[in-house]
Amino acid sequence: MSWIGYGLRGGILTTKYPKGDDVMPLRYRGEVEVVRPSAQGGEAVAASCLSNAISRNDGLTRVDRLRCFQCGECTRVAPEVFQVQPHFELAMLADTPDVTFNELKKRARAFGRSVHVRHVDAGSDGSEEQELAAIFNPFYDANRLGIFLTATPRHADVLIVTGVVTKAMAEPLQRTYDAMPDPKIVIALGTSACSGGIFRGQPNVVGPVNAVLPVDVLIPGTPPSPLTILHGLWVALGHILARGVDR
Amino acid sequence: MIIAPASLQTAAERRIEDGARLVWIFADCVESQTVLHYVVEQDGQLLDLAGPLYDSARALSQRIPAADWYERELAERFGIKLDGLPKHRPLTKIVPAQQLLDVESSEVSTVLYGPVRSGIVESARWIVETGGEDFIDVYPSMFFKHRGLEERFVGLPIELAPFVAEHASGATASSHAAAFARAAERAMGIEVPDRARATRAVLVELERIHQHLDSLAKLAEDGSLSVGSAQVFAAKERIHRLLCDATGNRFARGVICVGGTRGDVLEPLRETCARDLDLAEHHARTAVDRLIRTQSFMDRLIGTGRLEADLITRYGAVGPVARGSGVSSDVRTRDGFLYTPLAAEEAIEYNGDAVSRALVRVAEIQRSFQLARNALDANPTGPHFVRPSITNGAAIARVESPQGELLYFVRIADGVLARVAIRSASYANWPLFVPSLPGNIFTDFSFIEHSFGAVQAEVDR
Repeated sequence: MSWIGYGLRGGILTTKYPKGDDVMPLRYRGEVEVVRPSAQGGEAVAASCLSNAISRNDGLTRVDRLRCFQCGECTRVAPEVFQVQPHFELAMLADTPDVTFNELKKRARAFGRSVHVRHVDAGSDGSEEQELAAIFNPFYDANRLGIFLTATPRHADVLIVTGVVTKAMAEPLQRTYDAMPDPKIVIALGTSACSGGIFRGQPNVVGPVNAVLPVDVLIPGTPPSPLTILHGLWVALGHILARGVDR
Repeated sequence: MIIAPASLQTAAERRIEDGARLVWIFADCVESQTVLHYVVEQDGQLLDLAGPLYDSARALSQRIPAADWYERELAERFGIKLDGLPKHRPLTKIVPAQQLLDVESSEVSTVLYGPVRSGIVESARWIVETGGEDFIDVYPSMFFKHRGLEERFVGLPIELAPFVAEHASGATASSHAAAFARAAERAMGIEVPDRARATRAVLVELERIHQHLDSLAKLAEDGSLSVGSAQVFAAKERIHRLLCDATGNRFARGVICVGGTRGDVLEPLRETCARDLDLAEHHARTAVDRLIRTQSFMDRLIGTGRLEADLITRYGAVGPVARGSGVSSDVRTRDGFLYTPLAAEEAIEYNGDAVSRALVRVAEIQRSFQLARNALDANPTGPHFVRPSITNGAAIARVESPQGELLYFVRIADGVLARVAIRSASYANWPLFVPSLPGNIFTDFSFIEHSFGAVQAEVDR
């Protein structure tokens, strides 16, 4: 039997997401929810968070989604305050006034119905690359959404950057960005890329991607699941609103 | 073993001449005194020869190629003076492109390949001197991704440190967390309960399966075998889904900790595997079997990136790269930590080319399913975690990661981590990438690269 016959016999594996629904398993540590923000005990947990994602202000405990690297340690230390939720739609728009839903939509219109993505690794742990590659496997098949990989920045519409930006990678990253034609969209993929993660403030890194480039969309996760990445791309292309965003 | 500084290098050299393998050279700094460690493996046992460094030491790399990268890193990154170290282009320091492109001969052109390359790949640079189609010389230029990972450990409490180890290579997080945890447990003299060992064994074996599938799928992709690569990637995805179902993370991160595992993960693993493992194995096996029976694809690998067994031994390569050239190198047959030793059951191939390395991976996928099942069926009862009482100490431990032998050195002082050093399998194998290239042509590059299956993040740290 040919490869094609073999492939066809496997049937359709592909998710309907983002046009239809999909879910992550119940145990998936997508997002930490603070179920009792005013409860005491948050301080002790905040001190043990490796990426300083937990803050306590005005008697309220908050978790910074961009810093949380989904280890779930807080939910074990203080289960009465923190709970993990299997949410996977975690992408956010950059916190700058010129990045809005309408602005992204306008830029994406210029790309037509085929969007070409260029990836640069600025200092990842290697798993973000594998999850990004996974969106092209038969279970997710990003090609069906008109999303394609391109080898050259000259053809690229979207730049996806993984990892915290190391000192040596800042210049190659900037040059890749400069080589892309306008309009373009920049996505920071993974907690380290969004906020620096556990490497924030370390002497060998420059910082998160937005320390070097104007980032439009942030997709947190260590690593983000393929569904999270599809959601992030859909947000970046102005098809859907990021959760909790009204601009 | 503490050895006087004058005879440290001689002691290491003598053992290597007697047939021991140089595993690792690294530096530690104890109370502002630099200490050099020479780790060798003799008769399957690790031996750590350590001694203080005064002023300078003698370099071993002229006679022992395996010492090359370790010594270059010590000299370049830590400023350690090593007498007789051959002059090289820097390995860990980034040289501006303009400086590299000064070429004396017009027949040879220098190509800077990287750090940004095509496709979804990690950043690394290869400086390739070529006369057109053939490789004349290749120099690695690494550490673009150097994040200061080993330094990140310093001062951390033990219970948070496995998360940092998982960042050394996110795709092989379980191996890194297990190796770190084991080194820390040894340093503190803790025995982990059997249930935790079984859980770790399942996670590390499933990780080996998904990483070997990843490497095979990338080879298929290089061979433009789209359907084949899609099917193997789909088989990999099934393992990730299974792990996510059971552990809450697609790479099983956040499970392994010092003293055991966080939460009883064996039970959910048993449930999920009872439901999904057979199907996952069926898909992995049929896709991979088809792949190695696709002659047009295998033709592309035959003779590509050939490495003689002698080269493997001299450079101290490990994992599927060593086993593909007929050199035994499986931590699982030597150490009985995660597993009961496998009584010489290693997947070995003898041709030393990309085919052999692929066939080793294929055989290991099958074996890993079996090992994971054994650990699941053993289902040892009892606790999954013992709370470690933190004591000072230092130890080295190793685990067979998908890329091969992975070592961690952990030193605990004043109840926190004082030094963590990592010798990854990718780091041990990369020096052989260059000698595997001559005789091949430019388009073989990605085949050879993916047949090594290295993770750049764990090289650069």
